[in-house]
Amino acid sequence: MEKITKVTMNTSAPTITTAGPATAPLFGLGIEFESARDLYHAAEKVRDAGYKKWDTYSPFPIHGMDEAMGLQKSWLSALVFIGGLTGFTLALALEFGTSSFLYPLVVAGKPTNLFTIPAFFPIMFELTILFAALTATFGMLALNGLPRWNHPNFNWDRFNKVTEDKFFIAIESSDQKFSFEATSAFLNSLGGNHLTAIHEDSGNE
Amino acid sequence: MNSHSDNNDKRPITHDGPASKSQESTAHSGVPLSNCFFDYKHVGGRFFGLVSISIISLLGCIALGMNNPKQFAFSWLFAFTFFLTICIGSLFWILVHHGIDVEWSVGVRRQMENVATLFPVLSLFFIPLIFVAPLLWKWMVIPHGSSHALLEKAAYLNLPFFWMRAAFYFLFFSLASLWLRKLSVAQDNDGDPKYTVMAREITFASLPFFGVCLTFAAVDWLMGLDFKWVSTMWGVYIFAGSALSSLCVILLIITALRSVGYLEGIVSERHYALIGQLMTAFTVFWAYIGFDQYMLIWYANIPEETTYFLRRNTESWCILNIILVLGHFLVPFILLLFRNPKKRPAYLCGIACWILLMHLLDIYIVVLPMIHPAGFHPSFLDLLSLIAIGTALAAVFLKRLGDVPLWPLRDPRLKDSIHIVV
Repeated sequence: MEKITKVTMNTSAPTITTAGPATAPLFGLGIEFESARDLYHAAEKVRDAGYKKWDTYSPFPIHGMDEAMGLQKSWLSALVFIGGLTGFTLALALEFGTSSFLYPLVVAGKPTNLFTIPAFFPIMFELTILFAALTATFGMLALNGLPRWNHPNFNWDRFNKVTEDKFFIAIESSDQKFSFEATSAFLNSLGGNHLTAIHEDSGNE
Repeated sequence: MNSHSDNNDKRPITHDGPASKSQESTAHSGVPLSNCFFDYKHVGGRFFGLVSISIISLLGCIALGMNNPKQFAFSWLFAFTFFLTICIGSLFWILVHHGIDVEWSVGVRRQMENVATLFPVLSLFFIPLIFVAPLLWKWMVIPHGSSHALLEKAAYLNLPFFWMRAAFYFLFFSLASLWLRKLSVAQDNDGDPKYTVMAREITFASLPFFGVCLTFAAVDWLMGLDFKWVSTMWGVYIFAGSALSSLCVILLIITALRSVGYLEGIVSERHYALIGQLMTAFTVFWAYIGFDQYMLIWYANIPEETTYFLRRNTESWCILNIILVLGHFLVPFILLLFRNPKKRPAYLCGIACWILLMHLLDIYIVVLPMIHPAGFHPSFLDLLSLIAIGTALAAVFLKRLGDVPLWPLRDPRLKDSIHIVV
């Protein structure tokens, strides 16, 4: 699958391997690192170079990587908040609204007014938690673009080591700053190995 | 002994002061040691101010209490309980710290220890309650055999056992907190990890006693105000308030120390964010337990159980109770829900002050309705008792603050605590 194509641009041109079907569109450029430390510092440089559509890949979570990558706060907490609020409002309307106002249920002569709301707290609480938790799970999957069948990175054989002991950075070709020559030269300057042009699956076209 | 020439905490450790006798330096490099002793210049004359305010309010309590011993008894119990819960909560956080090897709280642990070791002083403030005990705990003066409920509970509610229990609570709380602090201070000198292991062993031995003492102290002194009333969630309810309010006190102490230049490089915004998270959790926990207790009693509708809430949900107590629900839960919950503001010390301190105020109201609603069933009836004694105990404890706290370093200098996990990732 892998073919070495020497792209000779100038004397210091990097060696770029191609992964995936060369006829398919380019997904991006990937590079491999030996350690979490190298990855971290490389991520800082990619961040400072102004790239937006790129990612780091490692066998384990690296503390502080969000800062090194310049990631903004995730929208997930906002989604969870809205999810929780939805569950709360739903319980409020379904329980309290119906049995205290729309069709007042008089149980053991107890009143049906605003002050009976504690009777409905347990369900409100549970529905809030349920909706918030489900939103957290599915929101996380959606924000990560999951589930998906495959990822172009898997066309790159060396990338399988990402679950073992290697660290990767891939800058996607859809990034506004991306240009094959400049980006590959830039990636090569980060100190990694095996600079690779990763192509999409041919079936994706 | 408490000044240091090198204030730059980026530099590796340089030994100075009493802590410098150890030769073991490489293992702790990178951890700042400078400025680790509290300088009394920050307190100055205020110490005597606190002592004199305490004495004046104590005299005021005695003078007013002579005319109205019943009001004094309840006001004093209210003030005493408020500070008791804060000390108990601090001990709880120390136990949690040692019990589950917490990393983040190493830097703030010494202040928890300083607060928790106020127990011996606090036990002195229990003494006035001994003299007014029959006014507080009615079961003490009910003639034997005249109340069937009391007769059934006589195995537990009898005078010798009651005072023995009280003595045991204070003995346990004082010994546990003093011992843990002693080990922590001993570690400052040589950084020997054996102290950490010993503290852990003491913690595991203490935890069952802690739970029992906290629960039965709450049962004896607060639930016992109405001996016919029972709630199986009472101990947990008092615990929830204790853990939350003591966290707020620790936060305020840490912030005060930081504002005069201490704990630099030890406690950062990340620690504030973590304390903020725990405050959120325990705000919810308090509401959860408080509501559970209410709902179970309300749902079962048994006359012996409903007396507590009937008294507190009628007359003007009802308004205070609604304020408690909104102020102790809803307001802090919404304010603490968002992540980024929790990194701002000023924001968290504002919420901490508010929660402490609400905790005060919580204890007030627990204690005072017992003598004012007709409704909220503020007394000057409430305030005087609070000031008397509060200033005395604050004075002792400040007096002891400079005795030992402000954070565990050579705790094996201090570096992890400093570089904690949120």
